[in-house]
Amino acid sequence: MHLLMLFKLQIKRTFRSVSFSRNLVGGFFLGLLVLMVLIYVLIFAFALKKIIEDGFGFEDALVFLNANLFFILIGEYFYRYFLQKLPVIELQNYLHLPIPRSSIVHYMLMKSFISPLSIVMILLFTPFALTEIAPELGLLAALGWLSAIVFASWSIHWIVMFTKQRLGDNLIGIAAMFIVYTASFGAQYFGWYNAGELLAPYFETAMVSIAPSIGMFAVIGLLYYGTFLYYRKVAYLEELSRSMDVQFVNHSLGFMSRFGTAGTIADLEWKLIIRHKKSRNYLFISLIFLFYGILFYGNELYAGEDGFSHFFLFIGIFITGIFMFQYGQLFLSWNSANFDFFLMNHKGIEALVRGKYLLFAFISIVCFILSVPYVYYGWNVLFVHIATFLFNMGVNIHLVVLMALWKPKPMDINKSAMFNYEGVGAAQFLMFIPLMIFPYLIYLPIAMVFDFKVGLISLGLIGLVGILYFRQLSQLAIDNLIRNRYSVATSFRQET
Amino acid sequence: MIEIESLKKQYKKVTVLDIPQLSIPKSQCFGLVGNNGAGKTTLFRIILDLVRATEGRVLLHGDDVSKTEDWKRIVGSYLDEHMLLGYLTPSEYFEVLRKIYGLSDEDLRLHLAKFEEFFNGEIIELPKYIRDLSKGNLKKVGIAAAMIANPEVVLLDEPFENLDPSSQKRLKKFILREKKEKSTTFLISSHDLDHVTDICDRIVLLEKGLVIQDLKGSRVSMVEALNTYFEG
Repeated sequence: MHLLMLFKLQIKRTFRSVSFSRNLVGGFFLGLLVLMVLIYVLIFAFALKKIIEDGFGFEDALVFLNANLFFILIGEYFYRYFLQKLPVIELQNYLHLPIPRSSIVHYMLMKSFISPLSIVMILLFTPFALTEIAPELGLLAALGWLSAIVFASWSIHWIVMFTKQRLGDNLIGIAAMFIVYTASFGAQYFGWYNAGELLAPYFETAMVSIAPSIGMFAVIGLLYYGTFLYYRKVAYLEELSRSMDVQFVNHSLGFMSRFGTAGTIADLEWKLIIRHKKSRNYLFISLIFLFYGILFYGNELYAGEDGFSHFFLFIGIFITGIFMFQYGQLFLSWNSANFDFFLMNHKGIEALVRGKYLLFAFISIVCFILSVPYVYYGWNVLFVHIATFLFNMGVNIHLVVLMALWKPKPMDINKSAMFNYEGVGAAQFLMFIPLMIFPYLIYLPIAMVFDFKVGLISLGLIGLVGILYFRQLSQLAIDNLIRNRYSVATSFRQET
Repeated sequence: MIEIESLKKQYKKVTVLDIPQLSIPKSQCFGLVGNNGAGKTTLFRIILDLVRATEGRVLLHGDDVSKTEDWKRIVGSYLDEHMLLGYLTPSEYFEVLRKIYGLSDEDLRLHLAKFEEFFNGEIIELPKYIRDLSKGNLKKVGIAAAMIANPEVVLLDEPFENLDPSSQKRLKKFILREKKEKSTTFLISSHDLDHVTDICDRIVLLEKGLVIQDLKGSRVSMVEALNTYFEG
């Protein structure tokens, strides 16, 4: 009864939130994107047998699947870990009311389960089960096999819900899985042992007996209960505000003061970043991405004879720009709680925008410098980095900011890790698309007509021009924001 | 000092504020009272250009506040936490303001010294982020921040709310002194009739966005008029 009421409230909340009406269009496209992905999954599902047997040349798709579902499920853990949002609910709104704590937690958990991710496996394997297994081994076998997979996938949902909350967002969960994954994959590759075979009997038995499915269903129940017990334990306000008493972080970019008020704001922004878990994570991710190049630069699959591939641009753009892409796409949302502060200060808006530019530039420069050792993989890699760095500084930085200024949403950065996955989702990936395509639009035609070096030089030169016109270009963002100041401030105060 | 000209604010079709004319001279302590939803905060936000007026304008020293920005140097305000930076400690916050206003370290030190009693040792010394402060202490930080650059005009929304009785007394003393020594203009909104009649020499009563009384004169007469209204 309580649960039903909470769900109804959630629906109201969604439809009445300030951002809903403003982002109807964005939400529509996002929904479309999800639908498209699901359709692709379905198309892929129907072609599964063909892909495995003809594409990869394995003899029997079913045997192959049974032996490799282990890896598919670990893969699922990864994408769930990144995409799955922890249930967002204003616990504070309900905890003081005579609603049993357990109802609230049940509600939170159930809400998390209602997600497109929960049907991916059904879509992916139902066609195969019905067209390949059912005719040969009977419908019951097909259903047994399918349910064994789907239930395993649903168990992973609860494992992810548990680990993600338990470990906060310090990526240990993902690192541990990554090690398991690479170790088992590597072991199979080198022929030491086959981790996939561990789970193969489970799927094979599921085709002749109902026991594995029932067993897995029981596992779901147990995992759900365990997750529930844990969440019920931590669903306290002080747990919610756990991140507030993280150690006192006191670094300062004092030298920024040289740049006047904008520098003061950049220093402020730096404090904001290191004092909030969410923004600290972005900083951390940009460090991780520095190593991204190792995967590709040394790989013969990508690097041609002269140690170059058009694909490298992509990596260069990421390595030098990932922080400003990620942090920048929530450009103003970081300051949504105190936007009035900037409005109330003389030229506050201008200082805020310029300060952010300054910080983005600073962090990009640091990333660029740290990436210089990639010259080990050849001078071409360094050229790529210089060109993409200049382009990021001259063009992409403005693209990010201008896109982010389009109807910014308020965000509560003080919420603890438990409820703080606001804004991290598919939308983020949408924004990357133009940032990635744009440089290629410039580079590829030129590189095709002349050669890649000319292409890189053009890219770098365009970046340089952008840097030379930095003042004018950043003024665009400032003017835009000053024009929209009332509506932005109003939405940040969460009023209508 | 402040001129309000045919000001109107509408949300959709509902008029929440409608003030044909109102002028606040220099050095006045202007009290704004009214029940919830009377439009007090909206009026302050429009004066500070945080909210766009549907019609009309606010002039400060003859400048339209929505067209220029220079007035921000002479206006200090504290309406709510949105004006603070929660992730800083109070000291850091004052330091940021010092840089923004271009004050010297000595200016800041002198300013904070004036608030020493008001802060009661709970603001500057503690290594605590603003967001973790109690409501009363938040208010103290906001009020001190509003007056950091010796503004000519100060707007405070419900400054007495959440303060303990001693702090309320200290704040009143402080406001009266500033007004006397520097002829600062104060705009203060409050639900608390006692406090606001104690310090203000003019009180405007808002109801559903309309000015229904504009009281000047002796404290006793103002208190009487207000009591009649609020009891009726």
